[in-house]
Amino acid sequence: MFRPRTLQGRYARTAYLFLLPAILFFAAFFYLPIGNVVATGFRTGPMADQWAGLDNYGQALSDPAVRHSFLVTAGFAVMVVAGSIVIGLALAMAIDQPLRGRVLFRVLLLVPYLTSVAIVGLLWRNILDPELGVLNRVLGAMGLPGQTWLNTAPLLTIAAVTLWQSVGYTMVLFLAGLQGIPETYHEAAKIDGADAWRRFWRITLPLLAPTTLFVSVMAVISGLQAFGQAYIITGGGPGDATDLSVFHIFNVAFRTRDFGYSSAQSVLLLIVIVAFTLVQLRAGRRGEVTY
Amino acid sequence: MRRPLLYTLLGLACLVTVLPLLYMVSLSLQTEAETLAADAVLWPDAPQWGNYAELFARAPFGDFIVNSLVVAGCITLAHLLFDPLVGYVFAKFRFPLRNTLFVALLATLMVPFFVRMIPLYVLMANLGWLDTYQGLITPFLMDAFGIFLMRQFIQPIPDDLISAARIDGASELRIYRSVILPQTRPALAVLGLFTFVFQWNEFLWPLVATSTPEMRTIPVGLTLFNQEYFTLWHLTAAGSVILFVPTAVLFVLTQRYFVRGIALTGLK
Amino acid sequence: MPSHPSRRDLFRLAGAAAAVPVLASCAGAPTTQSAAPGTFTVYWNAGHDYQAYRKVIAEFEQANKVKVNLQKYQWPDLRTRLLADFASGTVPDLVEEPGGWVQEFAISGNARSLQDYVDRDGEAMGFPSDWQPVTVERNSYQGKVYGVQLHLTCNTLLYNQAMLRDAGVAVPTTWEEFLDAAKKLTGDGVHGVALNQDYTYLWPWMVQAGVTPYDPETGKVMTPIADAVAALQFQADLVHKHKVAPVPVSGTDYSGPQKLFSAGRAAMILTGPWDLEPIRKTSPDIDLGVAPPLKHKVAATQAAGVSMFVPAKAARPDLSWDFIKRVTALDVERAATKETGMLMPRVSWAELPEVRSDAALKVFADALPDARDSSQQVRLTGKLGKWEEALKVMYQQVLIQNQPADETLRRFAASAESFLK
Repeated sequence: MFRPRTLQGRYARTAYLFLLPAILFFAAFFYLPIGNVVATGFRTGPMADQWAGLDNYGQALSDPAVRHSFLVTAGFAVMVVAGSIVIGLALAMAIDQPLRGRVLFRVLLLVPYLTSVAIVGLLWRNILDPELGVLNRVLGAMGLPGQTWLNTAPLLTIAAVTLWQSVGYTMVLFLAGLQGIPETYHEAAKIDGADAWRRFWRITLPLLAPTTLFVSVMAVISGLQAFGQAYIITGGGPGDATDLSVFHIFNVAFRTRDFGYSSAQSVLLLIVIVAFTLVQLRAGRRGEVTY
Repeated sequence: MRRPLLYTLLGLACLVTVLPLLYMVSLSLQTEAETLAADAVLWPDAPQWGNYAELFARAPFGDFIVNSLVVAGCITLAHLLFDPLVGYVFAKFRFPLRNTLFVALLATLMVPFFVRMIPLYVLMANLGWLDTYQGLITPFLMDAFGIFLMRQFIQPIPDDLISAARIDGASELRIYRSVILPQTRPALAVLGLFTFVFQWNEFLWPLVATSTPEMRTIPVGLTLFNQEYFTLWHLTAAGSVILFVPTAVLFVLTQRYFVRGIALTGLK
Repeated sequence: MPSHPSRRDLFRLAGAAAAVPVLASCAGAPTTQSAAPGTFTVYWNAGHDYQAYRKVIAEFEQANKVKVNLQKYQWPDLRTRLLADFASGTVPDLVEEPGGWVQEFAISGNARSLQDYVDRDGEAMGFPSDWQPVTVERNSYQGKVYGVQLHLTCNTLLYNQAMLRDAGVAVPTTWEEFLDAAKKLTGDGVHGVALNQDYTYLWPWMVQAGVTPYDPETGKVMTPIADAVAALQFQADLVHKHKVAPVPVSGTDYSGPQKLFSAGRAAMILTGPWDLEPIRKTSPDIDLGVAPPLKHKVAATQAAGVSMFVPAKAARPDLSWDFIKRVTALDVERAATKETGMLMPRVSWAELPEVRSDAALKVFADALPDARDSSQQVRLTGKLGKWEEALKVMYQQVLIQNQPADETLRRFAASAESFLK
């Protein structure tokens, strides 16, 4: 068997040995199917069995509905990513304080994340219904005018529902990250006379960088791939106001049954997400600190 | 300091997260007529506990629960086994193509599942694994989310700890098990919980990969209670509550590990 | 810290988890669904699991010595599953579909022609002579039958008798009377009418206005366009100008108006028989009236309802056909109607004494001959999915977002004409 002579070579061999099961698994269940998707993007017809060359890509790039769905998705992702980082971090820092009942707060804030997007969607659809929903009943009882948010601000509304569900999850991730910051750093800074605001910017944020990178990368990936919110709550409407990309692609695949066209759009979306992630990773690498 | 303000804000946040879920519980205890009443019913006068019994009478709901537990449980354990190891390799080893492989790994997160679903379905059909546990479990044994998460949490562990162990002559697997893993408890708790929650609520794959009612999981089984043109709200809500309980219990059990931080286990 | 035991446990458990798939795969390769010898697989809508059909299934199992695996789905889920099946080649023996899929799958080669069976058994079972003509046409492709209609429904007018009586309003029969009635019925927390967010509810208005959705000869969409615009604007005006209807909320179900009606918050809704059961069940106090479809230029309404077809790769089409024959027998239709109030496609069903003597059923039965299938011509182009997507957007932009019907509809027509040709 091949025996590397250098220490570095030996580590590399160990690394690949450890990676082997993962490489085989991802090849079979991810790269093979994804390769299949890429190939389907060059074909057309209900069984995706006719060669189409680059037609699907050309069509996708000039299709106003595709462009519109990308814009809708970008708007949605911005709201969800910003919201989950800011609110998630704020909640994590609040809960990281020595508070009475912090366990209870922690449990209650994560609770919405524990149930499914479908159920959350159905539940909020029911709550927000302008005519029969419980929210307008409560608002009415308090003497406030009823809301019709699903008609007046549909994208913001489904973004808010998404945040409602997922912000506890970012909070937990930030909390785990905050736990990893040794108390001594804060103590030292306090002795140096740094106020809370300073300590946040100089210590907490830099040392939290790996967590923040993880949270923001995952938030962008999942924000750009949001689907259930449109599928369950709005059906993409009113009009095409909440026609999120992945929802659009799903409809092209399973309603229109144009798997070639939907595959081409998935590949384009993949390229966009990869680009965003690379930028974030690069920025993140600059921000990473070592002890 | 500004404690009262902090308590108030956190309290309000908790109300916002909890009240809608309490309303779900309320729906699950209403009669069908109450769920459709002109003025939404906040809490039913006579809670209909029978709704829960009706679920079990109408469908093999016990089977759904067992299937969900087996599938989500096995997948979670597999993740706890594989994800930290791979994450460790990406965090602490230098080897050719590391960054390329890592980006390739992350790329797997960027394709929506349904896009891969049909090739995966064809694969499973050829293996004869449709409508079986291995068909439901195998495609989800690892994922880039868990690996990425573990990598991020293993990265801050000082390299000195690893070098010291190597000098002591510990094998690489031993280093991983005795040096790295004990440091990652909170992250493992987070990973286990999130994996379980995600798989527990997974809908699309169990929908296409099962063929008999006895193999369905809870989220797929719940669709049986919708009629062609309308939803039976009381039953759907009752099923949702049942779906919710195990993840909530698991969370309450694991959440204390999130706090017993890395700091406690000697990372300085 | 002595944390070793728990860590070892973790490893042991994880090892067991990894072993599960391996062990399970050793337990014997399970069979794919269509090949399973003793099992007959049927995809069915979760809302159509009637006792009457359970009885037929029991008889079918007895006669053919098979076990029926009735897999129940919601329509979108059923479609997702079916398309995956078509890709893999493991198909069910029989599929219930919501209307429109038969022609789509006939064109794509995924549905089996049933013409040989119709030629053999048609006369004895009364197909196609005893089926309403629209149901045969919408399940045929290039002169061959590919599917058989199971239920036939259509849109009419449902109204709250007490509300109309109290307001001194006669049951409207034309659009003008309808608007007039809606105005008088609106007020005090009650809407005169509730419209649906789903675009298919556009069609009764369009066919009543004499609009042709798509003419393959000329390639024109929504002709005459002026009448189409007027019909669309009429609906939007009910909501935004006359304010006799609430603004619908975009969503994924069709039950909005029915809920408002059941809650006593809407006096009239335009819908089909599927809403009768939930109204009667949840609001037994409401004095429900059923009136014929409104008349405008033409006496017409929208047809809907489910059919059955056999996938091209189904292994035992003889059995599938036997199932179709049994489940569409007049006695079964009669039993299903008695059980659920569902409407049926046989002409002789519409003449049954129990149908003639039921006030609600009679109205629907009389409207069925005037029911049209509005998407048939588009379906035959193979572009139905794209058409529906564009139509949904256009309809909601006008009805919910109050964009002018004229401009929006013309834009839709121009776009549809370009992708349909």
